[in-house]
Amino acid sequence: MSESLFDYEAALLACASGHRKSLNDLYQQESQRLMAVVYRILQNRALAEEIVHDAFLKIWTQSVNYRPELGSARGWIYTLTRNLALNALQKNQRQVQADPEFLTDLLDNLQNQDEDKTLVSQPEQHLEQQSLHNCIEQLNDNSKQCILHAYIDGYTQDEIATLMDTPLGTVKTWIRRSLQALKECLQ
Amino acid sequence: MNHNTQNQQQDYAELYVLGLLSAPERTAFEAKLRDDITLQKQVNDFQNQMLSISDQLPVEPLSQPLGARIERSLDALEQQQRQNIVKQTNKNSIWDSLNLWRGFALAGFFTSILLSVQLLQNTQSVETKTTYIAVLVEPQNKAPGWVIQAGQNNKIELIPLGAVEIPEGKALQFWTKADGWNAPVSLGLVKKGQSLQINIEDLPPLQPNQLFELTLEDENGSATGKPTGPIYSIGRGKPAI
Repeated sequence: MSESLFDYEAALLACASGHRKSLNDLYQQESQRLMAVVYRILQNRALAEEIVHDAFLKIWTQSVNYRPELGSARGWIYTLTRNLALNALQKNQRQVQADPEFLTDLLDNLQNQDEDKTLVSQPEQHLEQQSLHNCIEQLNDNSKQCILHAYIDGYTQDEIATLMDTPLGTVKTWIRRSLQALKECLQ
Repeated sequence: MNHNTQNQQQDYAELYVLGLLSAPERTAFEAKLRDDITLQKQVNDFQNQMLSISDQLPVEPLSQPLGARIERSLDALEQQQRQNIVKQTNKNSIWDSLNLWRGFALAGFFTSILLSVQLLQNTQSVETKTTYIAVLVEPQNKAPGWVIQAGQNNKIELIPLGAVEIPEGKALQFWTKADGWNAPVSLGLVKKGQSLQINIEDLPPLQPNQLFELTLEDENGSATGKPTGPIYSIGRGKPAI
């Protein structure tokens, strides 16, 4: 099921009420995408599967803390999972490598999808989501790379500075300006 | 909160989602996040927006047994939680022999019921008479955990027979269902270390064989209005005389 049709909020609330089937539905719906995100960060399949396993246990036990007032349920699931992956990174080394084309291709894919979808009506939520990646697309190449290396690869600011052969202070400035630009673009 | 602080807070939320806070900054932010619903909403919503990009990553198949492994881990987790509840209930035991103490508990319990009934019969002229009684036992080991008594004052009293340990973030919800009712009716939530008195004027008269149970629910009670969590204690009632 597409992520816009699956009711993540209902699934979390049902998990909080002890419905195992809802966790199973969530696993069927999201596990491969969660694996993609975690594997990209950790670059280690066995460790990534371990984190996805731990994430589902944590989703189950922590779902009692989720309430609709806390915002996007899908965002909640990924925040929890990405945190587990980023914590695991501190204990496990992985190779940092530049792959700028791969990252910009992700944005290009989205741009292409947007163009295809202009012909059909879209749910409001999707339009809202489009705006952020459109705004990132508008950043200059260096800023765009910083944001994507951090979010998609899980690289730290130090690692990004080394990778881009740029002083750490400059990277921090790019990131600060990127966030400001995103804020202005989204308003 | 002024505009600058709000902006700064939002910057931190975004840097947190992007994974760009240093370890000490992240720890400090997470401490703040725990009690700040607005901040949690900013994090979850920004994360959701960023997902439109990570959704473009090619999906990664998982090894077939991972789903089954998660199921086994959940079974183990629930088993462990049940054991913890039993262990905490029995933590003051001198010996670890559950059977020994179960025997003592049963003997003591029935003696106390006998004495209570005799006492009530002897004092019924001056006190509210107990007209209905039920004993709730744990479903697995049948150890008596709670007693219910109702009198002519239209109140049910739920009395714990020992220490009750309720896991963090959870509560025990008290339900009843008589034959012919469509669904169980909630009689309220049990607070730690307290007996519970419920006014039953609005309920139909108590019936012989009426079912009572306590289930482990979210601390605010079952969201669905029906029992959803595991049964903690269960039993049927009957007239006291």
